[in-house]
This record gives sequence, structure tokens and C-alpha cells, in this order.
Amino acid sequence: MLDRQQLHFEFSGRGGEYFKIWIVNTCLSIITLGIYSAWAKVRRNQYFYRHTQLAGASFDYHGDPKAILKGRIIAFVLFGSYSLLNHYNPVASLVVLLLILLILPWLLVRSLRFRLHNTSYRGLRFAFLGDVKHAFIDLMLLPLLSMLTLGLLWPFAQRRMIRYIRNQSAYGNVLFNFNVSIGRLYGIYGMVFLYMLFMFAGTFGVSYLCGSYLELPDKFAGQLISLSAMVAAMVTYLALLALFYSYVQARMQNLIWQHTLLGEHRFGADMKASKLLGILFSNLLLIVISLGFYKPYAEIRLARYRLEHIHLIANGNLDDFVTGIQGQVTAVGEEITDMFDFDVAL
Amino acid sequence: MSIFADYYDGVHAKKHKVTLRVYQGMLWLQNSDIERHEHLSKLTIPPALGGTARIILFSDGARCEVSDQDGFKQLFPQQAHSLIAKLEKNAWYSFSALIVIIVLAVAGYLWGLPYFAKVAAAKIPNAWQVKMDAQVLQQFDRLWFKTSLVPLVRQQHIEAKLKALVLPAGGILPQQLIFRNSKALGANAFALPGGSIVVLDGLVELSENDDDVIAVLAHELGHVQAHHALRQMLQTSVIGIAMVWYVGDVSNFLVALPAAVLENRYSREFERNADDFAARLLTNNAISSLRLAEMLEKLEQAHTPPELQKDFMKPPLFDYLSTHPNTAERVKALRAGSGQ
Repeated sequence: MLDRQQLHFEFSGRGGEYFKIWIVNTCLSIITLGIYSAWAKVRRNQYFYRHTQLAGASFDYHGDPKAILKGRIIAFVLFGSYSLLNHYNPVASLVVLLLILLILPWLLVRSLRFRLHNTSYRGLRFAFLGDVKHAFIDLMLLPLLSMLTLGLLWPFAQRRMIRYIRNQSAYGNVLFNFNVSIGRLYGIYGMVFLYMLFMFAGTFGVSYLCGSYLELPDKFAGQLISLSAMVAAMVTYLALLALFYSYVQARMQNLIWQHTLLGEHRFGADMKASKLLGILFSNLLLIVISLGFYKPYAEIRLARYRLEHIHLIANGNLDDFVTGIQGQVTAVGEEITDMFDFDVAL
Repeated sequence: MSIFADYYDGVHAKKHKVTLRVYQGMLWLQNSDIERHEHLSKLTIPPALGGTARIILFSDGARCEVSDQDGFKQLFPQQAHSLIAKLEKNAWYSFSALIVIIVLAVAGYLWGLPYFAKVAAAKIPNAWQVKMDAQVLQQFDRLWFKTSLVPLVRQQHIEAKLKALVLPAGGILPQQLIFRNSKALGANAFALPGGSIVVLDGLVELSENDDDVIAVLAHELGHVQAHHALRQMLQTSVIGIAMVWYVGDVSNFLVALPAAVLENRYSREFERNADDFAARLLTNNAISSLRLAEMLEKLEQAHTPPELQKDFMKPPLFDYLSTHPNTAERVKALRAGSGQ
């Protein structure tokens, strides 16, 4: 009996409601010199998780603020000693940096475990079972090696990264499964490359034509081609930063979810790059205009768009899951990776 | 009374619609298939969060979700008052929090951070400062500096004159006076974080006599007295961290401009203080502070390409992006101070 259902993720958080929560928690974090920020983080995550619904049930977050605070203190000490040493003893700061890099795989595993173990849905916890050795190979070594090929082999490394994270993640006792043909990843980057080429050629042509109509000062005579190339390169670079980021984000998220399985259930996603770009851009503008106070509204808008464009294609009954094994974790890993802005997209 | 709830047993993902009742210090939960009762003291009830369902956690991992907020309050009256939930709910508290954040941010920026940087800068041991300057100088020597072409006699002359200055009580001389040549940086002099002063050949060439150089050095000495470079370094790193923490996850690119605007205000204040110090020091040593005013004008001319020596760099908006106060303004202040 094949009973397929397309179930959409729904997000019911509201900007006005979240603003009130955010502002009070931010205020308390400042007054307590950052100590309360661990509790604020739990409140924030709980707000977003509990407002995320799938098939009539919501998610929940169970992170322990004290574990997060402990992680933040360790991260602060490591980061602080690095940046302090950097000012007057670069050699010693390099040693600290090396030490951080050395324990980074361990930190990443810890952070993934903490995040997943503390997420629940329908009373069952998620879990992460990956080990440090493979974290080192798949999350650090291969991405670094792919850089040596000028990024040409980056899609292979990226696929390994996503596979490592997804295939070791579980809900209850069922593992997630992710696999995708490498051509699909190259397809995304190939399109970006084509767009960029198109953009470069277009702006080059326009600026060359403009340059030949306008009478350039003698100083620039004979340099029209190199000047146009410079203008085109600059415009293309800015477009890469501003436009293609959301293109890659949207396409990548769609691709990842479309190729993720959970037992017999499949996921799907249909995010649009143009919509995402619109949200990111207007959020940015409003945050700047409001001196930062639009931020909680911006977070809600983005979360809503992201979540509501993911769905689950359920094959059979969602109720058939049973709990998996649960282990002990601390929050150290998650905090240090936060501080160093090394976020592993899940 | 009884209320409806969704119950999950923590072992299966199945949702059970149940009714809840509190009776004799116990929570009773039941529907046609399940029946469970638990002592209230063994339950965890997290504080309310916005309009989300209320949650009851059992010690074995099972949970109840109650979307009927009012019913929940009646069933668990003692759980109705969580301090954080109350603060998060009331618009007056949000408004107060908003005001507190704005006041603290402004006060921290105007007084708090400068104060702590001042205290911290005074506490940094001398040995560190010397080491820091050596490091900075090494970097600059590699990237920008060449050996000075100013005759050694002149260098010694200037240094002797600097050392002969009568300083105000508690005043200190620079750790070191360093002469260097740099095409890229042109006519310039600056104080390093540890208290050494670097003089570039361009500045010496621009001067008509030693007093002109001493006038500029007096300004740099103002920076050295008050550890301006060190304080600026501390302040900018705090502002940088705060901005990355706040805006960083939106866009790293966007952090740079507002951070620069905030940091430059500190820098302009230090420049004004150094000017004031220099004016007093020069007057005390029978050198007119007009020497500094004239040198500032010459320096500005030397650093502005002829085609840009027009008015469009003048509007006040440009001043916010500048590390130094408007030269005309500084010269005016120095002229006013010298009584001419």
C-alpha cells in the first residue's frame, strides 16, 4: 500500500512577537555582560523551533544554557588569547591558531552532536553519530586539498562534506541518507560561471561602446580595452557578491533537500533565488535604516521563507519511528565554531 | 477541570490526544488507550514562550503539548508566573529594554569604552610596549620605509631640541625618535602604540626650520603622553568585535563602514587633544603655536593632489569618514589659542 503525502514545513513565528522576546533578552545579555546570552540563545532557538511545524507537530530545542555558557567561556578564552597575542607576539598567536585548527574537527563533531541531540520532534531526539577521524578528512582535509586545484574539484569535496554530515544524522533510530550525482553540483557552479561570463561580456561591451562615443582625455587614449575590462571585472565581482550568493544558496539548499531521504520518506525543496535575493536585500536595507532594530523581523522573514519551501514526501506513516540511542554532549564545540564564523550548514 | 493535550511517549513518534487533570498533587493523563499519572514535583514545565504551545516534560523523555493557554494557566496556576515570560510579553518592558539598550550603547560608546581603554592602556607594561613598537617598525620597514636621507647632524639637532623641551609635570619623552624615508607616505610623522615617534623625510623637507619640525613633534608627543595609539587600538578592536557580533551574520561587508565611522570619532578627538597639548607645550617653550598651524596647512596641501584642491572635499559629511578633524578647523583653533 503506497500512500504518498506531500507535507510542507510551516512556520508560525511573528515578527512583532519575536521582537518583544528578542529585545528583552538582548537587554538582559548586555546588563549581565554577556552571561545571560546563553539563556537568550536557548529562548531564541526554542522560539524558532516551536514555531516550526510539520504534519501537525512542532519541533523543540533542549540545549542547556549552562553548557552553552561553558562553551562560550572556552571560546572566548581561545579567541581572546589568539587576538591578544596577535598584537604583540604573532608567533605565539600562530601556535594558538594551530592548536585551534588541530582540535577543530573535534569541535565540529561536538557542535553537530549538541545541536542535533538537543533538537526534538514528536518527543523523539535527533542524533549525530559521526566520528572525529572522518570529520578531519571530510570537513577539513579534502576541502583544503580541493583549494589546491583552484577550486575545480571543490564540488567533490563539498559533496563529501554534506554526505558526512547528513549520513551520520538520525531522527530517532532512522538515519538520514544523502547522495547526489556530481554533475548536479557542477551544474550549479557552471551556471554561475556562465552568468558571470555573460555579465563580463555585457558590461565590457557597454563600457567599450560608451568609451568610444565619449571623447576620453588624452591620458587614457589607447587604454580603452583595458579600462573596459577593468570596469567589467569590477561589475562582475560585485554581482558575484550581491547576486550569485543567493543563487548558490537557493539552488544548493534545493539540491540538498531533494536528495535527502529519511528512511522511506523523501524531502523536497523549491526555493527561488530571486525571492531569496529580494528578502536578503530588503532585510539588509531595513536593518541599516533601523540601526539594527529590524533584525528580529528580518530573522523571522528569512526563516519563514526558508522553511516554508521545504517539504517532506511521506511514504507511509510518520508515527512508526522509535527512539534511537542518546549520548552525553556538551556545548563547547558549537560555541567555538560560532565565534570563528565556521558555520556548518545543515 | 480538564484540558486537551497532545502526548508523546518519548519512545514512539505517535501523537496521542489526551485529557489532563490535576488531582491530589498528581497530573493525570488519559484517553481510551493510555493512562498515566505523575507526581507534579517530577514534572518540568518550561516558562511560556510567546504564543507557542505550553510544554510539560516528563523525566523519562515523554512530553505533553498544550495549545489551550488559558486552560493551562488554570490547571497549573503556580506556573503562570515566570519572570522571563512576563518580561517578554509586556510591551512596556520591551519599550524599557529598547531605551536601556540605546542608552547603554550610546553611553558605552561615548564614555564607557574610552574610559576602560584609558585605564587598560596605562596598565600595559613598558616592556610589552617596546616590543610592540619594534614589531610595528619591522613591518613598516619591510613594506614602506627606507633609510632616512636627512643628514645625521640635523637628526641629532632635532632630537636634542626635542629632549630639551620643558614638559608639563609628569610628561614623558618618546621611547625613541625614528627617522625614515617613504615615498608612498610622503610628509608625515606618527606616534606608534608603544610611544615611539616616527618622522618621515618629507616632513623635514617641508619645514623651514627645526621649530617647524618640533611643532609637529609636539603634537605627536601629545599622542604619546595619553597613549592615544594604544587606546585607539583597544577601542577599535572592541568596536570591531561588537559590530561583527551584531551585524556579522547579515553581511561582513557591511560591518566596515559603520565601524569606521564610529572609530574615527575617537581618532578625531585624540587629534584635537594632541593639538591642545602641543599648543600648550609650544607656548611654554617660547615657540609660537602658529608653527604647528602653518605646518598643518602645508601638510594638507602636500597630501592633496592639485586637481582635488577644490571645495568638494569640504562638506561636513566627509568629516565623519575622516580620522582627522578638518584642517581649517584645527588651524582656526590653534590661531585662536595663540591670540592672533
